[in-house]
Amino acid sequence: MNERTPEQELDAFFGPRPAEPDSRPRQKLGIVVGGSLSQGLDVKLDRATVIEGLAVGRYVVAHGRTGRRFFSIVTDVQLDALNPLIEKAPPETMHGTDDDDFLARVYRGTAVYGRIHVSPMLMLDAGDDEPKPVKTIPSHFRPVYTASEEEVGLIFGREEEPGYFYVGEPLEMEGVHVALDLHRFVERSAGVFGKTGTGKSFLTRMLLAGLVRENVAVNLVFDMHNEYGWKSQDESKQQVKGLSQLFPGRVVVFTLDEQSSRRRGSKVDGVIRIGYEQIEPEDVDSLANLMALSDVQVGALYFLRRRLGQGWVARLLDEHDPLAELESALERGTIHGGTLGAIQRKLGMFRRFDFLHPRAAEDPVRQLLDHLDGGINVVLEFGRYGNSLEAYLLVANYLTRRIHEHYVRRKEAAQGDVGSSGAGGQEPRPLVITIEEAHKFLDPAIARHTIFGTIARELRKYNVTLLIVDQRPSGIDPEIMSQIGTRVTCLLDDESDVRAVFAGISGANTLREVLARLDSRQQALMMGHAVPMPVVVKTRTYGPALYAELGLAAEGKNGAEATLARGRSLLRGDEGEVEI
Amino acid sequence: MTSQTIRVGRVLRAGTRGFAIGCAVMQPDIPAFGSFVRAEGLAPGSAIYGLIYDVSMEDDPLVRQIVSADPPEEVVRDQRRNRQIPIEVSVLAVGCAHDEDIRHCLPAQPPVTLDWLYQCTDEEVQAFTSAGNTYAFDYFRLVLDAREVPVDELLAASLRTAAASRAESERERFLIEAGRALVRLLSSDPVRLEGLLRRLSRL
Ligand SMILES: Nc1ncnc2c1ncn2[C@@H]1O[C@H](COP(=O)(O)OP(=O)(O)OP(=O)(O)O)[C@@H](O)[C@H]1O
Ligand SMILES: [Mg+2]
Repeated sequence: MNERTPEQELDAFFGPRPAEPDSRPRQKLGIVVGGSLSQGLDVKLDRATVIEGLAVGRYVVAHGRTGRRFFSIVTDVQLDALNPLIEKAPPETMHGTDDDDFLARVYRGTAVYGRIHVSPMLMLDAGDDEPKPVKTIPSHFRPVYTASEEEVGLIFGREEEPGYFYVGEPLEMEGVHVALDLHRFVERSAGVFGKTGTGKSFLTRMLLAGLVRENVAVNLVFDMHNEYGWKSQDESKQQVKGLSQLFPGRVVVFTLDEQSSRRRGSKVDGVIRIGYEQIEPEDVDSLANLMALSDVQVGALYFLRRRLGQGWVARLLDEHDPLAELESALERGTIHGGTLGAIQRKLGMFRRFDFLHPRAAEDPVRQLLDHLDGGINVVLEFGRYGNSLEAYLLVANYLTRRIHEHYVRRKEAAQGDVGSSGAGGQEPRPLVITIEEAHKFLDPAIARHTIFGTIARELRKYNVTLLIVDQRPSGIDPEIMSQIGTRVTCLLDDESDVRAVFAGISGANTLREVLARLDSRQQALMMGHAVPMPVVVKTRTYGPALYAELGLAAEGKNGAEATLARGRSLLRGDEGEVEI
Repeated sequence: MTSQTIRVGRVLRAGTRGFAIGCAVMQPDIPAFGSFVRAEGLAPGSAIYGLIYDVSMEDDPLVRQIVSADPPEEVVRDQRRNRQIPIEVSVLAVGCAHDEDIRHCLPAQPPVTLDWLYQCTDEEVQAFTSAGNTYAFDYFRLVLDAREVPVDELLAASLRTAAASRAESERERFLIEAGRALVRLLSSDPVRLEGLLRRLSRL
């Protein structure tokens, strides 16, 4: 660490001083002229407010008579006139572009004026610092201002606080940081949605970086397109650092496809191989749709497993195996020859998956759990198998099912141990599983019996939640969708997708317009469990500035900084008991 | 315009809404349509403000005779200077004042016959049309409600007078504010409003 001036030393000891009063002046936009709690407020803009400078999704604050502040989001922008006739017969000289025209200057703000529609979301009483959901609205003619940096901090929390991470800037508030409460973010399953190319993967990687840095949860990422681990590329073919480069030692990369990883120059920490004898009928069942297995065939899988034992897959794939155990069953008609043949044909696909071996030297689940239990985050690269939906689904389901079982066991052990201090009594640390193309796992036909459906539905009962990344939210089972606590949505234009992401969110109608107007890249609407009110952000750029900050933070957290922080909280009495 | 007090004439008839005055001679500027005028009120320190909306000259028997007799120049000039029947000036009451406190309202009592009526000075016109840092246009309402008065012409002319009483640099701002006040009052009739504003824009 560098030498610090005495002043910095003091700052470091006592923590950051109260933020300087906001330097950017608050701008009055207009006054409240009508509206309702359910439909939102109408605000007549002042003459000086340029309507073209006000975008849907922007934050504004109405100041009530009682000192109460109403935090709201702009949901519509309108032109209005004192007399509608003026729309039919606009003054003639104003057809031109001369904005300085006498008539134009007289009319603007009087005969014709701008109007915005805002949805109040939170209110804050004077002297209070805990915003609450709105239950009322400001009175007539109360002024409406742009939100200040201090107000954004008040609502979303400050990035300096532990467990918070700066994820973007509110619309048209450059330099102001919206912080996300990561603890709440992992408390329920979360989703990142948006059509292709809108920045879902970049955004997700940025969120994951936050989760790793703040150590809020341990992550398992099914990295279908090899974007999260060691490195990746952006649209202009520039290299982008992956998570394991940013957090050496805290993120490991496993691969299913060693060759591909090597070719891409990805530094991997291990290779995942699954043995045939480790595959259970349930694992194949989750592929039933893709493999076009009928119900009868799925039933037969379980039967075959019982009859043929652990080596069932290997034996079915072995063309020379006479499968003697099955003879009597075939004769009795318990299983049809046709069914058996079809299953053998369909399982033949497994031969193309090089990560499947007749026997695997190591248990892949154990490999992953060793890391996860130790708080090390794992990215699993699929290499070329990312292009094979079957491989992706098979592996993700295979691993997740077993890891989930492990979590269930540990959680139950912890609950059983309450009071006693047995070694097995520790709660497993929260695990977040990230999956791309989530609708493939969660479509209504299969969501009910795949592990991902189960995890989404049981909330965080076993400390496991999902972070799903998807471009077709309409393909996800609505029941699952309703369990997605925090939704981060980039631009979506398909009507059914839009409907899906808003399902179960109150006040969704007013936000539709906001979503429809997002930029086609690097802008997102965040709503739900982790944010006190919906917010449109220009998402934080994943690039050198972020790397630099993560580097610094990493140094700071386990150095002198940490000691100081501890001293600080002792002095403030933040900690219940002080051991001296 | 001027900052001296100029007498326009004496009150002939008076009512709450307005009054008529008589004056003997017509000078190039006085009395002029749309001018602000002031009469002393009954109470000391009080004043009544008005706007000239009509100036008329009635004929008399002598004028008739002269007109038909093809008179020499001196006779005509003499006739003009020493009229038997005064020029009649109609004034619409638009405000009253108690010392410094000016209000745009009808006076409680009209001026008394034969009281003098003065042309307002520039300072008085400015004071009448100002309120603190902004302008006062409440008298528009009294003009708009007046009967038998060419309302739009009178508004435009009074604003021309009031603008002219101000420094060149301030005039546009003044007229724009006046226009905005008119928008509120005349929004129900956009065509009329536009015509009026157009007239202001050319002042
Ligand atoms: N936060 C960001 N920081 C830097 N660049 C970004 C960011 N968001 C988006 N981009 C740019 O947008 C491009 C597309 O982003 P990304 O690959 O994340 O899209 P996507 O939604 O995951 O697309 P797909 O559905 O095809 O996977 C990136 O290559 C990058 O150039
Ligand atoms: Mg992507």
